[in-house]
Amino acid sequence: MSTDTVMVRVDHVSMRFNLGIEKNFSFKQALIDLLSPSKRKAKKEKKDFWALSDVTFDVHKGEVVGLIGANGAGKSTMLKNVAGVMKPTRGAVNAFGTVCPMIELGAGFDPDLTAKENVYLNGAVMGYSKEFLEGRFNEIMDFAELWDFIDVPVKNFSSGMVARLAFSIATLVDPEILIVDEILSVGDIAFQKKSEEKMLSMIRGGTTVLFVSHSLAQIEKLCDRVVWLDHGKVVDIGDPKDLCKRYTEFMGQK
Amino acid sequence: MDTSQTAIPARGLKSIFLNLKRYSFLLKELVSRDFKVKYKRSVLGVLWSLLYPVLMMAVMAIIFSQFFKFHTENVDYLVYLQVGLVMFNYYTEASNLSMSSVVANFSLINKVYIPKYIFPLSKCLFVGINFLLTLIPLTAVIVFTGTPITWNYLWLPFAFVCLFFFTVGMGFLLSTIAIFFRDMFYIYGIVTTLWMYLTPIMYDLSSVTANHPVIGQILRINPLYQFLTFARLCIQGPTNEMTFTNLLGQTVVCPAGVSMCPPPTAFLWCFLWAIGAFLFGALVFRKNQDKFIYYV
Repeated sequence: MSTDTVMVRVDHVSMRFNLGIEKNFSFKQALIDLLSPSKRKAKKEKKDFWALSDVTFDVHKGEVVGLIGANGAGKSTMLKNVAGVMKPTRGAVNAFGTVCPMIELGAGFDPDLTAKENVYLNGAVMGYSKEFLEGRFNEIMDFAELWDFIDVPVKNFSSGMVARLAFSIATLVDPEILIVDEILSVGDIAFQKKSEEKMLSMIRGGTTVLFVSHSLAQIEKLCDRVVWLDHGKVVDIGDPKDLCKRYTEFMGQK
Repeated sequence: MDTSQTAIPARGLKSIFLNLKRYSFLLKELVSRDFKVKYKRSVLGVLWSLLYPVLMMAVMAIIFSQFFKFHTENVDYLVYLQVGLVMFNYYTEASNLSMSSVVANFSLINKVYIPKYIFPLSKCLFVGINFLLTLIPLTAVIVFTGTPITWNYLWLPFAFVCLFFFTVGMGFLLSTIAIFFRDMFYIYGIVTTLWMYLTPIMYDLSSVTANHPVIGQILRINPLYQFLTFARLCIQGPTNEMTFTNLLGQTVVCPAGVSMCPPPTAFLWCFLWAIGAFLFGALVFRKNQDKFIYYV
């Protein structure tokens, strides 16, 4: 299953959010702060929220690691750290290889552009070259099954169609590290099956996967190891079957 | 172990250039996206880039030269106005778009790692291409008014490049401020209006200097005044006879209304403003870019 090569190293990562950020710059708040400077600091510290605290784990080459936990446990924050979108407040995240983040599919689409134009724009965002995209364009449209809508602005697409197009672009290459956030439920049943098969073939091809899902059936089916997060802390790391069972019991008690 | 990191790039000057190379296709796509979106559904399309500055100039020429009797001595007022408008509009449009570019692309920044400076830079380039198109109507006005075309026009790119770097620097600075302080969008609208009237676009600064020497001197600090004047000296020469010392220490006298190579001090001021604003903006942007994601 796992070899010795570490692909992702998460080393004592802590992540602090300031929930009061929205109000920090208002004129009203500035006036209040000016009048009562003593309260200011205490208030600010109270609003600090640790989305992750002291999380450590490694992902080895070819391994599929699932992240489970309740809403707000820090799963997506963890993925964004690995994707390089966020930087940890403390600790370090290292990804050794090309990372393909599949978070919020279609977020980079411009609604006014056509499907074809968006393939190039989104492909550029993912770091593909122009020649590469030109060579693989047919493949993308075949997989998305959107040939009939090639010159239609994306704003006229249904959400399923947008997701299909985005999934087809995102999975175009076999990245070394794939980050997946709740996307295996895109499109209709036929496309769901197709996208799951595509994922499985990528996993068999040796791609390292970091995977977030609320579907425990999917986690058990796909993952080699599971990291259970709760309120930003690691509860346990281990065998999917065992952890999923304990997690279900834990959630049932609430 | 393979230690090449792609997701979290190293910092430093070298990595900036590597990134720029790696993301040049994205930069191109972002610029072409802006173009496609801008002219989609308009009947005249890209023709607007040519028509718009001429029509703007016509409106201002009618109002200021006919109603208010503004004029410039010794040089053609239409050319004077058109040079000022084209350059000033480049600055305001590019800096405004840059300011909102990072906030507007939040959905991308929140999804995948992209160097964030690419957004203000792409806006300055996009408006820059538009600017190059507006040089066509400017040339038409120059020819139409019978202003002679000389070798001194070859110095023009210097002014344009300086204007570009100045604008990019301001774009970095403004987009950083706008993320932490959204009121900036409104404040900057007021600032650009004030800036427009303080910049001699439709009037000649020497008419101010004659009555208020101190104010005239202060207005000369304005970087946009420096860029505009540089370009105007190349195209139509000074509005009044100009005396300066060249690099060889010789005193040069330039007659009014004759195209000239700008004096060394003009080169220096333009260069200093461009490089200063660019470095300052880039530094502020870089220092704060990791915090952007929590504020947008």
